[in-house]
Amino acid sequence: MDQSVAIQETLTTEENCVIAVECVSLLDGVKNSRLLGLVHHNHEHAIFIYGHRRMPITGDDVTLDDILPISYDFSVVEVSSPDELAVLGADTRVRVTYLAEELELRLPFGSQARLFLSEVNRAWSDACEQYPEVKPQFDWLAKYRKVSKGARSLKKSLPSLTSRSSVMSRSKRSEKSRADDKQEQKGRDGPQESQDRSRGDVRDELIRPTQPMLSNKDQMLGMPQFGLRDNLIKCELLKNEDVYTYIQNYSFFLGTYNVNGQNAQESLSPWLGSTSNPPDFYLVGFQELDLSKEAFLFNDTPKEPEWMLAVYKGLHPDAKYALVKLVRLVGIMLLMYVKAEHAAHISEVEAECVGTGVMGRMGNKGAVALRFRFHNSDICVVNSHLAAHTEEFERRNQDFKDICRRMQFEQQDPALPPLTIMKHNVVLWLGDLNYRISDLDAEHVKDLIAKKDFESLYNHDQLKRQMDEETVFVGFTEGEIDFQPTYKYDTGSDQWDTSEKCRVPAWCDRILWRGKNVKQHHYKSHMSLKSSDHKPVSCLLEIGIKMVNEESYKRKFEEIVRYIDRLENDCIPSVSVSQSEFHFKDVKFMENQVQTVTVCNEGLVPCQFEFIQKLDEPAYCKPWLTAIPAKGFLAQGASVDIDLEVFVNHSTAPGLNSGQQQLEDILILHLERGKDYFISITGSYLPSCFGSSLSTLCLLRAPIQDMNLDTIRDLTVKSKSQASDSEPQDIPKEIRMMVDHLFRYAKKQEDLFQQPGLRTEFQEIRDCLDTGSLDTLPGSNHSVAEALLLFLEALPEPVVPFSFYQRCIESCSDSSQCRQIVSALPQCHKNVFNNLTAFIQELLKHSAHNRLDINILASVFAGLLLRSPTKQDLVEKRKAREFFQHFLVLSPSDGGLHNELCG
Amino acid sequence: MAKQYDVLFRLLLLGDSGVGKTCLLCRFTDNEFHPSHISTIGVDFKMKTLEIDGIKVRIQIWDTAGQERYQTITKQYYRRAQGIFLVYDITSERSFQHIMKWASDVDEYAPEKVQKILVGNKSDEEQKRQVATEQGNKLAKAYGMDFFETSAFTNQNITESFTRLAELVLQANKKDLDLLGGSINDEFSLADLEEQEGLCNAGDNTRKSCWC
Repeated sequence: MDQSVAIQETLTTEENCVIAVECVSLLDGVKNSRLLGLVHHNHEHAIFIYGHRRMPITGDDVTLDDILPISYDFSVVEVSSPDELAVLGADTRVRVTYLAEELELRLPFGSQARLFLSEVNRAWSDACEQYPEVKPQFDWLAKYRKVSKGARSLKKSLPSLTSRSSVMSRSKRSEKSRADDKQEQKGRDGPQESQDRSRGDVRDELIRPTQPMLSNKDQMLGMPQFGLRDNLIKCELLKNEDVYTYIQNYSFFLGTYNVNGQNAQESLSPWLGSTSNPPDFYLVGFQELDLSKEAFLFNDTPKEPEWMLAVYKGLHPDAKYALVKLVRLVGIMLLMYVKAEHAAHISEVEAECVGTGVMGRMGNKGAVALRFRFHNSDICVVNSHLAAHTEEFERRNQDFKDICRRMQFEQQDPALPPLTIMKHNVVLWLGDLNYRISDLDAEHVKDLIAKKDFESLYNHDQLKRQMDEETVFVGFTEGEIDFQPTYKYDTGSDQWDTSEKCRVPAWCDRILWRGKNVKQHHYKSHMSLKSSDHKPVSCLLEIGIKMVNEESYKRKFEEIVRYIDRLENDCIPSVSVSQSEFHFKDVKFMENQVQTVTVCNEGLVPCQFEFIQKLDEPAYCKPWLTAIPAKGFLAQGASVDIDLEVFVNHSTAPGLNSGQQQLEDILILHLERGKDYFISITGSYLPSCFGSSLSTLCLLRAPIQDMNLDTIRDLTVKSKSQASDSEPQDIPKEIRMMVDHLFRYAKKQEDLFQQPGLRTEFQEIRDCLDTGSLDTLPGSNHSVAEALLLFLEALPEPVVPFSFYQRCIESCSDSSQCRQIVSALPQCHKNVFNNLTAFIQELLKHSAHNRLDINILASVFAGLLLRSPTKQDLVEKRKAREFFQHFLVLSPSDGGLHNELCG
Repeated sequence: MAKQYDVLFRLLLLGDSGVGKTCLLCRFTDNEFHPSHISTIGVDFKMKTLEIDGIKVRIQIWDTAGQERYQTITKQYYRRAQGIFLVYDITSERSFQHIMKWASDVDEYAPEKVQKILVGNKSDEEQKRQVATEQGNKLAKAYGMDFFETSAFTNQNITESFTRLAELVLQANKKDLDLLGGSINDEFSLADLEEQEGLCNAGDNTRKSCWC
């Protein structure tokens, strides 16, 4: 069904719906049925997107949702991949983008969708060709935009749109944040809610870009995108990482310190600057940076720059460090410093936070995390402050799991899923994990500490026990603890908590790691820092980082690219064609010849084949040729026999008879996303009186096939110019033969011209007429009668020539005018006309036997003798019959005709 | 993310039947050579990825039927090409003379911006040579084209000629790409740049400087 009709009804006369197709917009799992129309106005095109309530039949069934102007910054990309080829008859998925709008559509499989896409592509490439000389204006869209309540209404109907662009803006945002850490800091001022807000802001700004978006780059060159390919390369590179990487060790200093809301008065160098050599990295985590209500509610605190400065001052003095990133959630802060010389090798830095406090969301508890890539290793660092209180260890386990689950880093490619903590090569986890000592009272614990029996004490450590049970920190390692618990001291001293609560000392502050090639150099607490009720902990790790050997990387990369190119080339649909040239010998009028071409899918993928049109031709082949089937599918290894059928009928015969046309054609067998094959068809046509003009036939005294082609061509030209040197026959001998035959043998034949003849007998009659092989026509009366009708039908210029047609129709009610017209016909046409009417009158005399009447015969012959140059409607048909009937009414002056026939 | 910057070009191999268009393609994409001549009856293509000036360029190379009777049909493929190889056989004077005809067809049917280079193939068959290198040079100069004598058999100048045409096409489309250059740079992170460098076929380091 053609839905462009429905669309057209919604348009003004200035616009034209070129083609329409139904589709499904599918995003975020919501399917919406839509109707797409390609609308054309002067030289500009736009895609109109309609919603529809039911099958779109009229303009009332559709409502305009949105308009996408097709200009240079528009694109439609088929989202395809080799593996999808395997699904025969699958929907065609396309991604349409215009400026920042992007939308994914599924078009039903089939030629309509194909045609639609190719029309859209043509419109787009036209627009691009003209650009920038002709800048499209799209003024004409304004009137429709009002109807569709503004173009932006699409966002409502297609919620996906906004979500897509928000993904885009998010990745953009992370780029920005990298550029400006400080600003980022302010932007990320709270848990979840405020993050979303800031994303929203960026989105709006993205929706009105002034220049084409970068995703246009490939479309500017008019090319499809192959997203899968890059992922394949990435995948292969990852698989072969060992080939082009080697391990080099770098030192990572990790520190964690619960500062209990105190100010940064003390120097941190006893903690941070305690190593003999300057470490390559510093990852320093704080908890309870600010315990004030303001910090909690507004996530804003003067303590942040204060402690940042303290850290910076406390770093090892023998190296220059650069701040890579700072991330904070209320009182949980993580800083990353790196030796300046390594900065260039750090990339893809992302920061995220997860609150696990009140309602599982607030930021008083939770974690902040950083991820980054150093050379070829992906590293994630988490600083967490888990739930407090001795008995709450399960709650702490839960916090850990929540953090692992909810901490997600956007990837640069928005098409890729976000990265989780465990997806990294190395995970470093530090913080106030708050695990306590179980089953021992304070005195006992302090006693063991005094004896430095940390091993016994460690057996009561909740974290150890939980890890042994594999309920938390699965896969993580912690170094041996040979320092006394870091909690809880009286502030400003090394005294255990003397407050009322008299907390049992515990190793709250911990550092763990997960990943290969990690070696611990030290793990200790720093007793000299006294300003908090915790002591800071540090851990120096040597981590083997994957370094890229540029030479072997390049080699491997090239190898992979070659491999994938090859894979791709192998997956280009490909078939074998049994024969690329076909010759049809001695093709005759109304006699079909069939030859078979076998197409076998020898490629590695299923394919869809179709014969396609050649440039400037209306169909994929000449009208005398058909290929069956003209399109279809081939599974791997399957083959199909395609019948190539040559059949010359009344409409193609004239050109072939006169030698103006030949039996020559080249078919293009096209494979979807694949190659094209040419199949050339040639043939020799045996000229026939069928499809030859009356004037030519009058000049032919010998059977047509005794003449050579040049003579026939010459005669055709001559007969047109009306200049003949030899005396033409009154009427073509072929007509005379058929009419005489019928007059002689079939006057009384029942149902003459009513019953069909036999195809084989027709062929004999045709051959007899064309070769003059027999004196008497073969076949039954019905076959001869049909041959006569076919002959009349095939005449290039009917008995009443086209130029007389209109006058005949206009004068049909006036007998004498009709006769006047006939008397003005060219001589041989008039002769034939009179001959046939006389014959028909004769038949009517025998209606008792042949059961023919004037109506039947007028109906049969009027349409053949008096053919319209265009399509004849019912009224004209009736008038033609009326015209002809005047000649069938017997009048005294017609008496001589009988003699003429008999003579 | 890198995939966003891929460009894909269509290059077309044109020339008389038997000059070795299919062999050039096979040598370039698969590094194979089949000495027997099987006429291409249709239009075939293969893909190849190159890196030029730090841009990943995927080229789709179309191999066309050279026989005269198919020429009216192959013309309809010119329209979508960005680059065209005009190929003759140095051992066939006739194939060289026909280059004029091929070139005029290209002018008529291919897009205006299309880039062309002249290729004299079968340079290994020196003893059968009918077209002097100088003749090729002269013709190429007259048309303002680059010229290569190649041999699919010995692999001489194969990569060079394909890379050169791809470069020319890239340069011809530079304006379009530059238009987007600003937004590309915005999105490029340090790591992306590193990743982009030295990926593939960077044989020509001198060219690295321009663009982007």
